Amino acid sequence: MPDIVFLTLSGLVIVSAIFALEARELIYGAVGLAFSLIGVAGLFILLGAEYLAMFQVSVYVGAVVVLILFTIMLVRRESGRIVEEEEPGRLGRAGILVAGLVALAVAGAVILVVPMSLEAPEFHGIPLRELGRYLASSYAVALVILGILIGATVVGGLTLVKVEREETNSGAAQ
Amino acid sequence: MTCLQGLPTLQEIVNLVLRIITSRTFLEVVFFPGFLNVMLSAAFLTWLERKVIARVQLRIGPLYAGISGILQPIADGVKLMFKETIFPELADTKLLMLCALGLMLLAFAPAVAIPFGEGFVIANMDVGLVYVFAVLSLFPSVILLIGWASNSKYPFLGGLRSLFQQVAYEIPMWLSVLGIVMLTGTLNLTKIVEAQQRLWFVVPQVLGFAVFFTAALAELERTPFDLPEAETELVMGWMTELSGVPFMIGFLAMYTKLYVMSALITTLFLGGWSGPGFVPQPVWVLLKTFLVASVIVVIRGSFPRVRVDILLKTGWTRLLLLALVNILVTVALISFGLDWVWRI
Amino acid sequence: MEPLSSYIILSAALLGIGIYGLVSKRNAIRLLFSVELIVNAANINFVAFARYSNPPMLTGWNIVFFSIAAAAMEATVGLALILVAFRLNGTIDVRRLNRLRG
Repeated sequence: MPDIVFLTLSGLVIVSAIFALEARELIYGAVGLAFSLIGVAGLFILLGAEYLAMFQVSVYVGAVVVLILFTIMLVRRESGRIVEEEEPGRLGRAGILVAGLVALAVAGAVILVVPMSLEAPEFHGIPLRELGRYLASSYAVALVILGILIGATVVGGLTLVKVEREETNSGAAQ
Repeated sequence: MTCLQGLPTLQEIVNLVLRIITSRTFLEVVFFPGFLNVMLSAAFLTWLERKVIARVQLRIGPLYAGISGILQPIADGVKLMFKETIFPELADTKLLMLCALGLMLLAFAPAVAIPFGEGFVIANMDVGLVYVFAVLSLFPSVILLIGWASNSKYPFLGGLRSLFQQVAYEIPMWLSVLGIVMLTGTLNLTKIVEAQQRLWFVVPQVLGFAVFFTAALAELERTPFDLPEAETELVMGWMTELSGVPFMIGFLAMYTKLYVMSALITTLFLGGWSGPGFVPQPVWVLLKTFLVASVIVVIRGSFPRVRVDILLKTGWTRLLLLALVNILVTVALISFGLDWVWRI
Repeated sequence: MEPLSSYIILSAALLGIGIYGLVSKRNAIRLLFSVELIVNAANINFVAFARYSNPPMLTGWNIVFFSIAAAAMEATVGLALILVAFRLNGTIDVRRLNRLRG
């Protein structure tokens, strides 16, 4: 009988993911996405990666979901509705078929091909120092590039959404 | 972790429930230092705030409910429970109630990691510090949802202001404790308190303490950073449309967060449970926590409100620079070999 | 402890849900949801393999570390683009956003 914690967490992840895509209101969808991401963080804890779980919660749910909510609130027409979500129709059914086939193929391929045993080895926790050591030595270049990328993202995002004002800056700029 | 082999019988379920209820962790979570302690402390803090603010303003504060008004929080709670819960017609009631409950849960969550004595902590996490900050980063989204679900201008503006403010001050908060992590080499809150046996971190990390204190004030939306609740401008900020029991939950969540942040400041900078031995250790934690909370309340009565653009500019730039200077100071401390003071 | 196949099946199911969203949704923000779900499926896979390898390897954690950060950045820029597209076209329905000019 499978572990009940794993079942609960995976149930949360899958159900919230489906809800995120199928909810009528986009805001509810964003909340569903947040729950799904929290479920993924729980799975990380189950797999022994506690620091990664906290990282996931604070970056994904704490920042990305906030951004998504904020954007949804800005992308509104006067009536309050964004876009009429019609029934999926033909494309939706094809979508389910494609998605199901891909998922089946991927799962089957990985399980059959993976060169390791499927049972969990002994695990007493990896000390956090090792992660820090890795990041500082082998992955140092990647870390620096990540920092530059974050800076570029911030600058790019701000530039994209800047509104072009035609009048010159009044004195209230300070 | 429970592993259920096959379908459990009723006897097994009853045994399991009994075992959970009498386990130490459950008792800790429900009574002390968990739920009951946090609720009582949050209620106590409402009374403390009104008394201290009153004295700052040369008046007396609550006087009639019990000795010196100590039962005032109970009176408030009873009054709020009898009030009718009114929501605007077009407001999203489900989302509002869900988010009010979520706010309470989030406010309580960091208390699980705060140590109240040697080995006396509900959850001794090796990533305790990051856990607390991760939970704190979930607040802006919940408050934004409450402001949005109220379907009204003023709560929404209050929610937006709160979001901007809390997100801006998250980074200085994270960076200011980096000095402590560098000195102790661990994220475990129990070990951080143990490392302060000789010298509290408030001494070498004065700058970090100042930055963290300011950022905590901003996260708590207390004056001088209480723009989201600027009573002359926004009615009551994002809490405007809550009434009755949901309002009580939101209000209590604010004070729970105050208690938890004060306890966090005590743990990180003021030595946690360290103190002379004639008083048990948890009492020291509570004493220091309430002292920090009193200072926060006195600040509320003494400072004017900060303008919103100065508020955001301070959070994103000036406090960030101060936190970086703090890190440099810590690096200097370590390179002069002075970090033996905090090695256990 | 679960066999590794459970985690692989979970991650593949999440991948399937994400692909379904990408194929059949017309709202740009739902497409973003789907992309985030796919990235999270991959992350679960990485961490599961890192845990189940003998001895447990840290490489999986490092990759997920960078993956979460990169996905956050991609969501940021994607949302900025959606905002600009809405401002210029009044809609975020991707089937109507099919002109390169304007």
